Amino acid sequence: MVIPVLAIVFTLYFFSTILNSPWTAQVSAFSLGSLLLLFCVIFVAKTVYQLRRGDGTLSFGNIVSRDDLASGRVGLFLATLGFTLLIDYLGFTLTTFLFLLVSMTILARGRGFMRITLVSALMALGGWAVFILAFDTRFPRGWFETTMKAVLANG
Amino acid sequence: MGDTANLLASVFLDTISYWWVIIPTIFLGLIVGGIPGFSAANTIIILMPLTLSMDLQTGLIFMVSLYSAARMGAGIPAILVNIPGTAGAAATPLDGYPMTRQGRGQQALAITFVSSSLGGLLTTVVALATMPILARVGFYMHSVEMIVVMLFGISLIASIAAQDMLKGLIAGFFGLMIGSIGTDVVYATPRGTMGFLELYDGVPLIPALVGLFAVSEAFIIIEKKVILTDEGQAAMANPSWSATFEGVSIALKRWVHIVWTSLIGLIIGVIPGAGASIASFVAYQQSRTFSKTPELYGTGHPEGLIAPESANNGVTSGTLVPLLVLGIPGGATAAIMLVVMQFHGVSFGPSLFERQPEVGYGMFMAMMVSYLLMILTILPLSRYMSRVTTVPTIYLAPMIISFTLVGAFVPREYMFDMFLALAFGVLGYIARRTGYHVAAILIGVILGPLLETYFLRALKKSQGDMSILFSSNIGNVLWVLLVLSLVLPPILKLKRKRRDRRLATLSGDYQ
Amino acid sequence: MIRNKHMNRRELLTRGVATTGMVMAAPSILRAESYPSQNINVYIPTREGGGADRNFRAFTSVWKEKLGADFEPGFYPGASGRVGYEVFMGKAEPDAYNLIFGNMGPEVLNWAMKEPNFDINDYVYFGRVDTDPGCAFVGSESKFTSIEEIVEEGKKRVLNVGTSRMAHPASIGILALGEKTGAQFNLIPLSGGKNTIAGAVTGEVDFSVLTSGSVIAAGDSVKTVLVFGENRVGEQLNNAPSINDHYDMQLAEMLSSRAFAIHRKAIEDFPERYEILKSTFKETFDDPKLMEAYVAAKGTPEYLNYGGEEECAEFVKAMLELGAKYKPLLTGA
Repeated sequence: MVIPVLAIVFTLYFFSTILNSPWTAQVSAFSLGSLLLLFCVIFVAKTVYQLRRGDGTLSFGNIVSRDDLASGRVGLFLATLGFTLLIDYLGFTLTTFLFLLVSMTILARGRGFMRITLVSALMALGGWAVFILAFDTRFPRGWFETTMKAVLANG
Repeated sequence: MGDTANLLASVFLDTISYWWVIIPTIFLGLIVGGIPGFSAANTIIILMPLTLSMDLQTGLIFMVSLYSAARMGAGIPAILVNIPGTAGAAATPLDGYPMTRQGRGQQALAITFVSSSLGGLLTTVVALATMPILARVGFYMHSVEMIVVMLFGISLIASIAAQDMLKGLIAGFFGLMIGSIGTDVVYATPRGTMGFLELYDGVPLIPALVGLFAVSEAFIIIEKKVILTDEGQAAMANPSWSATFEGVSIALKRWVHIVWTSLIGLIIGVIPGAGASIASFVAYQQSRTFSKTPELYGTGHPEGLIAPESANNGVTSGTLVPLLVLGIPGGATAAIMLVVMQFHGVSFGPSLFERQPEVGYGMFMAMMVSYLLMILTILPLSRYMSRVTTVPTIYLAPMIISFTLVGAFVPREYMFDMFLALAFGVLGYIARRTGYHVAAILIGVILGPLLETYFLRALKKSQGDMSILFSSNIGNVLWVLLVLSLVLPPILKLKRKRRDRRLATLSGDYQ
Repeated sequence: MIRNKHMNRRELLTRGVATTGMVMAAPSILRAESYPSQNINVYIPTREGGGADRNFRAFTSVWKEKLGADFEPGFYPGASGRVGYEVFMGKAEPDAYNLIFGNMGPEVLNWAMKEPNFDINDYVYFGRVDTDPGCAFVGSESKFTSIEEIVEEGKKRVLNVGTSRMAHPASIGILALGEKTGAQFNLIPLSGGKNTIAGAVTGEVDFSVLTSGSVIAAGDSVKTVLVFGENRVGEQLNNAPSINDHYDMQLAEMLSSRAFAIHRKAIEDFPERYEILKSTFKETFDDPKLMEAYVAAKGTPEYLNYGGEEECAEFVKAMLELGAKYKPLLTGA
């Protein structure tokens, strides 16, 4: 039910942005959007019918449940969110290391901490060597990258 | 004619002597192809100072082998961890990943390597031999015809959704709507952008791909210790070379399949602006349509893996044709090649083969030699690559998330794209959890804007007259084929069922 | 959402690399009190590796010697340049250490179609690097061989004309020709230079219009029939005539014209810094090394064309006026 509802909301929002646009902006979006709305309405009707007959249930059980907390999924999600928020400030290497460390620890429930630290450090350093040192991509720079650059520059 | 043959032979031998450039480049290409966000095109840009400092021939060989290796590399993570390295490999996980989970990752890799290399080699030879004719394809495939080609690709949504048609259609059309975000291609009116300037050019593909496939996958796989099923774990317990040979033989037995799906790739590749994603979708869909066992597709069927992989490598050789014969780059990588070669004083256009035949033939030879060397270097590695699948998910999931999210950042270098990937990750996770196919959403996101572009272009040409859609002969033939490919399979299925029933009754009579 | 991701690197460079550069370029620094004491950040509103990138590198390779500081490019592609300008106006400090390297043709036309979130008078183009006129061309296999034949046919039926996008100076050029001659042209946006060339070559459209630099690069797969400005390269554009000479018109040159711009606030707050930028920019043009660098980067040397604040302002004004005039045709409004 979540996807159809998301789809309906998004389509209606999309329509609202093109109401006063030239035909070129509308023609394809209106036709695709109407079909999508039609499919969603059929789906909703079908679900309601099933509910009435008592065949189906409507719950978020599939998406979020207690299991998620136990399996560390919620923790992993929060760590991921933290990763995207922090990477701009702490830089690529350090954030990657912290993220790997934290999320692996959550998933392993604290076991094998030394090994996890080692793996995280190796992965982060490897990423740094490939992406920043060798390829010079514009990944966010932070404390680690600046220091390493200074160190390398001064021999 | 004899002169050309002599020239070809000498260029071929000359190219082989550059093996010391090609082999390291193959490994580089496999790596950048495998990481979402990196591609042959942006690697050449990143390494531009290096590329420009090479002499013409070395630079050319470097770019061509990087291009073909990156194409092949994109299939590896698609098979092993369900993450296509580029949009061109978006159809690869459909059957590749199920094989991996069953513990047949090594076979799947071997199948991919063989069908990619053979597809690439074959289409290179065909392209070389029929260049003048192939180059004409672009003269007949205009916007009207391309609309139908796009619909061929989009019809794949319906096949993927075979089990639950309604959910499949919702996922596909939701993808198409998401793909419509951005300014319209004619008058540049922004639509559905939620106020983000970063979405004006449409939803960037890599963040969508990373989110829908990689991030959501990472959240799913942590449920189990490893991504393999129980039987898969048993199968992977005793690694041996025989799995590789099995994969090679599976692929070689289906050589006819490799031939015709790679030719689909070649034909689509020579059309300027089309590309590997549409080619692999069309090839997968056609392969399924003409298959005797369509129901096996999506469950780890070798043919479902061969089709997209031969096709997207067919595109690689195809894009060289308009570049060399007409001076029009068919895709992003070809465009960069054009820039680099112009830097070296090569001027493109129809007379290139008269002025500098060694450059024109050189590119094809470089591609041929790359594919030859690739199969030799990479095949032995499939045994070791497939070990990735035995890495516990507590390590695998965080690694996938961090490296693909950063990959989402690479193409445009906007932080926005990382957040976007995360948003797509959440969408993908919900979709998987509630029985919607993320591949159907992604096909919509990839093909939606392409379809709209061709559609609007055609309508702008006719000034709004819809009848233009049926105004070309080739277009009309394609329309008929499209309808047939949609209508025939159910009819055939019905026929087969009836025949089976009749056979059953017949055999019943004998008893 | 867009943050400046070069911040940290810039800080590092401030302390490290730039100081060495400064010492080496001592004469111009002494004259200029302390400016520039760090590298100049340049916002480029297009993709890395494109024409603007090459042009920028060639030009700044000489300019940096005159100025005594290096230039750090940052690429902000998207929304036909809008993203780059919005970031520059919204996030970059107006301290004369941040410049934008834009294209006064198509990017200014954008503002005429839809105003950006900032006031367009808040930034000033002060250094024009090149002027590259638009042109009309046919594929090498086209039945048309001259602009006369095209105009003649255009009087009988509506001709489809490929363009990289609607709001482009070359689009205005062909619309103006249609207005003058009565020929009917229907613009088909083909998204980008290479598709525009492909459209003309494969016959998707009857002919195309585009910036001439890209047309020259396409070699003999196309043939140019008309230039919306002066044909400074003769044979390379098939000796195509200029629209004003050929049709007795007074149309402003329809250019793709790259130029450096600065915040108006920076000019007001740091007039001495602005003077240094302007004078060193001009000095760059007097140095023969510039031509060498430009040729080495495969630019068209004939298009290298100095222009100061006044020339830029004049061109921007013409673009805005023509943009307003043709807005209904270019936006479908």
